[in-house]
Amino acid sequence: MMELIGSILVLLGAIFHFSAGLGMLRMPDAYTRMQAGTKASTLGNTLVLAGLAIHHPGWSLKLLIIVYFVLMTNPVSSHALARAAHGIRIPMAGDTGIDALRDARQKNGGGP
Amino acid sequence: MIWRLFVVVAIVSFALVFASLAIGYTEQQSLRPLAESYVRLVPHALGAPNVITGILLNYRGFDTLGEVAVLFMVAASVGLVLGAGRSPRGVSTEDRSDEPRPSSEIVRSGTEILVPLVSIFAAYIIMNGHLSAGGGFQGGAVIASSVLLMLLAYPQYQPNLEFLSITESAAGVLFVLAGIAGLVLAGGFLDNRILPLGQFGAFFSAGAIPLLSVLLGIKVGCELSVILEKFRP
Repeated sequence: MMELIGSILVLLGAIFHFSAGLGMLRMPDAYTRMQAGTKASTLGNTLVLAGLAIHHPGWSLKLLIIVYFVLMTNPVSSHALARAAHGIRIPMAGDTGIDALRDARQKNGGGP
Repeated sequence: MIWRLFVVVAIVSFALVFASLAIGYTEQQSLRPLAESYVRLVPHALGAPNVITGILLNYRGFDTLGEVAVLFMVAASVGLVLGAGRSPRGVSTEDRSDEPRPSSEIVRSGTEILVPLVSIFAAYIIMNGHLSAGGGFQGGAVIASSVLLMLLAYPQYQPNLEFLSITESAAGVLFVLAGIAGLVLAGGFLDNRILPLGQFGAFFSAGAIPLLSVLLGIKVGCELSVILEKFRP
């Protein structure tokens, strides 16, 4: 029974990874591709590792550390990449309406 | 049309090559005599469960020393090549029109959390080299990655190059001295039996291999950090 639950978690994680890959292919501009890849792959990674922890309870602590590491690094790195892309003015998709970062910069007098 | 034919011919010939490789492959049922003697000797004579680290730091320790020397020469020559066309520090940042944007608060907080974590992981890799996968080279690379993280998150961060080069040289000298001690006290250059072998599989075991791993890790980490610092714009 536990093995079945673990396998289902791994499968769910794989589905999220697949959706991340699909988002990379289908999204219109750099920013949306980035958020598709980051969000879905972070959750997918967590689910796959949780499934592994159910399969092998002895590995739980190490897997927890890996999950913590991924949760710390993946959003931060994608945030930094997106800010850098915004900084060198990579264009957004045509129908983007709101650019909160640009508005905030203009309100602060052009500063970062 | 001819181009497509060419592509098909290329793919078919690749397939033939790989198919002949795959058909000709037979899995080896037993180790070759040299590998078998190493697998038997390393846990028995050196007391290291990880055969690869035993070979790298003992039987081929001289080779490892040579690899570290190559890395040292790379660090020195990178400094020579990249350092020549660069204006002294402090002047360059004022002249430049596109001043680097300061990194955001999320990046700085993430760096503050991650750098200790990465450093602990590096120490774990270095100290477990004789027990499981790991060793000085890998751990040194992880140390350098934490320095790279600092350089990326804090563009003004200035690692102490003097301290790095002194530490690196001291680690290198101690490595060679440990090798000469092996020549005097035990069977040969970089022999790990200058220290007691201890209990098989324990944290402090396998003679001088953990010590050599630590020295190698410090040396590689410092060298790679210096190289990374040189590549800063």
